[in-house]
Amino acid sequence: MPALAWGAGTLAALLAVWLVATSVTGLVPARVLPSPVAIVQRAVALVAAPFSGATLEGHALASLTRWAIGVACAIVVGIPFGILLAWLPPVRVAVGPVFELLRFIPPFAWVPIAVLWFGASTTTQALVVFIAAFPACVINAQLGVSQVDPILQRAAQVLGAGSLTTLRRVVVPVAAPSAFTGVRIAVSNGWMALVGAELIVGKQGLGFLISQGQNNDSVATIFVGIIAIGVLGAAIDVMLQRLQARLLPWTPALAQAR
Amino acid sequence: MAKPRGVVTTAGPTAPAAVNAPPKMELRGIAKTFSTRNGPVEALGRCDLAVRKGEFVTVVGPSGCGKSTLMTIAAGLDDPSEGEVLVDGAPAGRAGPRRSVVFQKFALFPSETVAQNIEFGLTVAGLPRPEREARLVEQLAIMNLEQFRNAYPHELSGGMQQRVAIARALVVRPEILLMDEPFGALDAQTRSVLQEEVSRLRRVMDYTVLFITHSVEEAVYLGDRVVVMSRRPGRIKKEIAVARDAAWRGGEIEAASDHADFNDARREVWELVREEIVRQ
Repeated sequence: MPALAWGAGTLAALLAVWLVATSVTGLVPARVLPSPVAIVQRAVALVAAPFSGATLEGHALASLTRWAIGVACAIVVGIPFGILLAWLPPVRVAVGPVFELLRFIPPFAWVPIAVLWFGASTTTQALVVFIAAFPACVINAQLGVSQVDPILQRAAQVLGAGSLTTLRRVVVPVAAPSAFTGVRIAVSNGWMALVGAELIVGKQGLGFLISQGQNNDSVATIFVGIIAIGVLGAAIDVMLQRLQARLLPWTPALAQAR
Repeated sequence: MAKPRGVVTTAGPTAPAAVNAPPKMELRGIAKTFSTRNGPVEALGRCDLAVRKGEFVTVVGPSGCGKSTLMTIAAGLDDPSEGEVLVDGAPAGRAGPRRSVVFQKFALFPSETVAQNIEFGLTVAGLPRPEREARLVEQLAIMNLEQFRNAYPHELSGGMQQRVAIARALVVRPEILLMDEPFGALDAQTRSVLQEEVSRLRRVMDYTVLFITHSVEEAVYLGDRVVVMSRRPGRIKKEIAVARDAAWRGGEIEAASDHADFNDARREVWELVREEIVRQ
């Protein structure tokens, strides 16, 4: 609880400085940084009436949908793929180099070709999210499996477990915390790539909202978008951490944190 | 030197435990050579060792003598370069619950509770739930682990974790239990308690053990027969039988050193090990 109080204190102090610099003293012009009050007013207005095709929650929902599709695909494909890479040497030899090559292409480099394939659609945005999120899922799942102490596999073997049982009951659970860290990284990478992609192409979404703010010379709109992006991203991560504590109750680090 | 009472110093099949029983497990001419960056390293010379049913055999030797390699091969977790492992006179095949293992590093499955860890071998074998539960309850009682049934390994002390590992290896009713320096990672007090517990277990359950250790005292305290290994490449140097009905059996390990026969056996084994350590 004190940790939470400290965090809230820092946030409150920042807000106070911001308020003093803008509304109270007027040292920083609204053109550069609007006051918190102006931003809250703008947020309320954006919730009440559509701007550039949707309300604030409409833009947020559009972003969240694309993000969820892309991240879900990255997790569903990436984690089993990472486990296979570590567990089956032939897979590593055959597919590993291709993966290593592809993962160094930035997600945004795929935007033009994705637009040509799928147009300015949800599929395009979700594909960019997928490309941004996929490597973290693969790499951390692979790392988790390769770090499993071989003695655990031997222990399973002498108790009569075959390869698949060992994988399912010993290796995957032990690798799960590392894979979960991968998911958290993937989630934030995907979120950041999505907003970037929305700045480039799209007709809805928080990134699009920001670019429309720029086009309409509305600094407050830009800040509403930025803050919404930050708050949603942080909220998703907090939920993931809660989920981890529930799904992997035996992780020692988590047990200490509880 | 006069033979101390209760201690028979012969190599071979005149051990007091199960004199006429055929070997439960036999290592025949086991040798192991590892290839390393600096060329081949001979870890084990040709080792012959037989463990009879109901016998507790301890293997002691200087560090690096290949005793853990011997254990790994006996368990079927690694293949020997030469020789073969037999169980009941037939090739033992790959590792499995007929030869369960207790490792020095416990090797408990961290994502499973104490009960799930102990039941692991039983679920893998496809035992029906009621029988699994019955065996689990029995084993928890024998090892005094009832109250830790739902704990995760990381919530237990090292001694408790090793208790769970022993229970997990015994509950599958192995034909032979292999123990690879099982108390090497524990503090001295915990080690004494567990040594006494393993000694006590023999009166509760009938089991056959091959036990690797670097502690001479532990080897003599637990073993019906102490096998001394030479330095690398490890060979069987000598086997020393220890009376199974000695007065200090089942008592505290601290009290064993009050008995002359225990001290004589310990000294004899120690001299054999010492020769190997100081030998050029």
